[in-house]
Amino acid sequence: MKPSEKAKGRKKKAEEKQQDILEILKTHGATIYQDLDNGRFPKLSIPSRSVSNIVYDKKLRQYILGNSAAVRSSRNSSQLRSFTQLMWLAFFANRLTKEKKSSTLRDVYYSSQAFAIEFEDQSESDNIIVDLEAVLSKPREDFHIFPEERSSIFGDLNIEYTIPGYEGKTMNLSNHPDGYSIGPSLTTAELLDTSAEIVIAIEKGGLFTRFVEEQVDKKFKSIIINTGGQAPRSTRTLLKRLHDEMGLPIIVLTDGDVYGEHIAMVIKSGSANAAHLRELTVPDAKWVGVWATDIEKFKLPTIPMTESDIKRCYDLQKDPRYQEGIWKKELDVFLRLKRKAELEAFSKYGLTNITDKYLPQKLELAKSL
Amino acid sequence: MSSKEQFNQISPSEFFYSNRDLAGFSNPTRSLYTAVREFVENALDACDQKGILPDVHLIIKAVDPDKPDPKPYILTVKDNGPGVDTEHIPLAFGTVLYGSKFGLKQARGMFGLGATMAILYGQITTNKPVVVKSSTDGQTQDEFEILLDIQKNKPVILKHTKKETSKQGLSVSICLEGDYSKAGSKIRDYVYETSLITPYATITFDDPKGEKFHHARFVKDIPPPPTIIRPHPHGIDVERIRRMIVESQFEIPVIDDIMIEKVRKDLGLSKKNLSFAAIMDKAKKKWKNLSRQVRVVVALMSFLKMDFEKLSKIRIEDLDVSNKKLSYWDFGDSQSKVVDIDPESPYYKQLTNTVQGEPLTTFLTKRFQRIGPTTAVKFAEFAGFKPEKRMGTMSNQELVQLSDSLQKFEDFQAPDPTCLAPLGEEPLEKGIKKFFNPDFTAVVQRPASAYSGFPFIVEMGIAYGGDIKPGGPHVYRYANRIPLLYDEGSDVVLKVVNDTDWGRYKVKGEPPFIIISHICSTRIPYKTAGKENVADRPEIERELRLGLQFLSRKLAAYMSKKGQAEMAKKRANLYAKYIPLIAQFSTELAGQKKDPNYKKLLDEEAIIET
Repeated sequence: MKPSEKAKGRKKKAEEKQQDILEILKTHGATIYQDLDNGRFPKLSIPSRSVSNIVYDKKLRQYILGNSAAVRSSRNSSQLRSFTQLMWLAFFANRLTKEKKSSTLRDVYYSSQAFAIEFEDQSESDNIIVDLEAVLSKPREDFHIFPEERSSIFGDLNIEYTIPGYEGKTMNLSNHPDGYSIGPSLTTAELLDTSAEIVIAIEKGGLFTRFVEEQVDKKFKSIIINTGGQAPRSTRTLLKRLHDEMGLPIIVLTDGDVYGEHIAMVIKSGSANAAHLRELTVPDAKWVGVWATDIEKFKLPTIPMTESDIKRCYDLQKDPRYQEGIWKKELDVFLRLKRKAELEAFSKYGLTNITDKYLPQKLELAKSL
Repeated sequence: MSSKEQFNQISPSEFFYSNRDLAGFSNPTRSLYTAVREFVENALDACDQKGILPDVHLIIKAVDPDKPDPKPYILTVKDNGPGVDTEHIPLAFGTVLYGSKFGLKQARGMFGLGATMAILYGQITTNKPVVVKSSTDGQTQDEFEILLDIQKNKPVILKHTKKETSKQGLSVSICLEGDYSKAGSKIRDYVYETSLITPYATITFDDPKGEKFHHARFVKDIPPPPTIIRPHPHGIDVERIRRMIVESQFEIPVIDDIMIEKVRKDLGLSKKNLSFAAIMDKAKKKWKNLSRQVRVVVALMSFLKMDFEKLSKIRIEDLDVSNKKLSYWDFGDSQSKVVDIDPESPYYKQLTNTVQGEPLTTFLTKRFQRIGPTTAVKFAEFAGFKPEKRMGTMSNQELVQLSDSLQKFEDFQAPDPTCLAPLGEEPLEKGIKKFFNPDFTAVVQRPASAYSGFPFIVEMGIAYGGDIKPGGPHVYRYANRIPLLYDEGSDVVLKVVNDTDWGRYKVKGEPPFIIISHICSTRIPYKTAGKENVADRPEIERELRLGLQFLSRKLAAYMSKKGQAEMAKKRANLYAKYIPLIAQFSTELAGQKKDPNYKKLLDEEAIIET
């Protein structure tokens, strides 16, 4: 396939996606309209997100919602308000999607006021957004609501925008050394081509900059992504697309502690919070470090774990995903050491030690994982 | 008093003069308020006693309106009561401790003492006399101007005139130092609250600033007047017993010509000279209709064995009951003579009763309520007295013992409440509704109870919503139909109200809510002489608590009903607010042009709710 045809095909896909959302929204809207017109109180079935309904699917390698669902009825006076909020959000999402406008969680909260819809606080409106995700089984990015926090990307990747006003415009993501912020326009852009052979997701902004400076992209033919701690959902979507659409392996590099391990796990298999969504995980993503065993192996400077670090270890031991492989092994070692190390710990052996020595070893190792 | 020079007796006037703050005359503000109260209460009491629907007119006028407070005011209270007889006016208004209210029954004031105190206070501060206008028949009116001689506790009449009138009633006017700018709000509250608890009275108040406060009666029936009753043994003390004994004892009458003439007349023997035996016969037949004095004379004659002729020539010297001897001076023989008195004679008892008083059991059954002959004998045994013990022979020590035992003996029945005059549930409820126009009212009259031998009845009312200001419960306290306005904090009613957890009765926040309590008793246990707060006797506290609980439960029922109605309304509003929004959003989502017809949903909702 020639690149142009390929792009055309992708564009069609993006439009299909939009049509898909609009279609689902219209179907729900029509049902409710009919109910009202026939003198019935409309209601919606919302998959339950309570802990008891979140189960781990071994085949999908992620948490999913079980079968139980709650009916939210406009007849019930205690649900009437939240039903109306949900309807408003569907209405708002419909407009956003139709007009190809982007919004954020916070923006949604403030926009509600223009429609006489009251939310107590932003967390209430955030919850309604998750409700709508669950009803539609679509991530909020699909209906144009994006996270506030931005992570960034750098590397040889050509993209083509699909957002209004930029349609058809292309960009190479290695043109700007600070990296490109992963916002709505990048998330919805088509991925054209790349010379990279791997994606390195790194937990920290400081190391991201170091990697750019050290030309890790060129040296290791990689695309570098800064997750900025726990990866935002748009970043996870992008990681998934890089893996699925471009066929690139994903490796994750985090601090040497239990939180770092879990950042990698969320990229790989999602979080319980997003159990209602299926398009956010990269089951093949690999965590390459910093492992607990690396702390000993590389004699890294460490600090002791806190009470909450240790508690977190015990919590994760109960998680079905931590029952085998390196996930279980490293967790056990963390618990044994009761110490942790930062990515920056390698600076002890020189500022470029991490890119010169550690990274190549780990990339090599990743092939065998 | 035997020791002559060391002690100077002071008159009651002097005593009250030096202790006037005891009775509520401590400063110009309080004094003006207390004076108003005393006169208004006297007027209402006088009307109540005669079953007259009261018309009371209170006027306060500044002598010199331009002077700053405190300054002299003229206080006048007029009523349409029975008035006071001409001969009683000087004593009633010109002496302290002269009154007609000494009987045991519920009244606002006890002795009319407060009014004389007010007069006294007025005289002290302005040196002006009290002006009393009284008409008992609605035709002639006495007008007196009286000053009080404080040292002698005697009235000094400055002026007395009579004139024609068309109205029965009493008007009392005094000039006194007062501070209306400070006392005004309390006086207005007093008038307002009095008219609530006295719904059968019309009360008018002309205040010094020219404002008129008129509270017309809204109940036409006067509550049944209380009856005067004998005291209950639990509510008695030594002094009271002593006074009762004096009342029950009599001297041997002096047998002079006038007395002999009277006895002859009563026996129907004015013109007849009968023999001794015939006289005795006649007396026996007429015994039932004879007065005590005559009976004593006949008894004496029976022992002396004399006819009227002989009787007129002696003088009784001594009746020695213990030795059963009667001695007399014989004018004819000019010597003293002695005769035996036979205890078996039916006349013996008559004589001993006279000089030694009644036997204990008779004393108890005749002079107390709730004591029958059986109880009297049981009590005598309990107290360690012979039942036939003569009251006149009791030593001081024995009197104390008797008094103590009367307090302690537990088999007396509870005091008779017929001496009480509660307002009644119906007038109370009517009053509350008229004054507060509330959304909810409940009243209760508790059954009669007693503390320390004094009967009492608690009446309570509760009201919610309407014209009542928020921030409740506002408590209106009454005792014997007097509003209590001062010293709220230490009152037993407040204690009971404050102990109540209103949340339990679904009353929350700053509720528009009032509580009225009315304690009726022959003696209200005021904490101070100022009659402002009621002490917490456990018996009274218990009745208040039970009354309030009963009312609170009714209030709770109302509140939850009200809550449900409000909830239903709130819900209906909720649907009216949200359903149109849902319609609007779904219209755009579904790509429709016209809103769905959701109106019937809202109507249906209304049907469900009702």
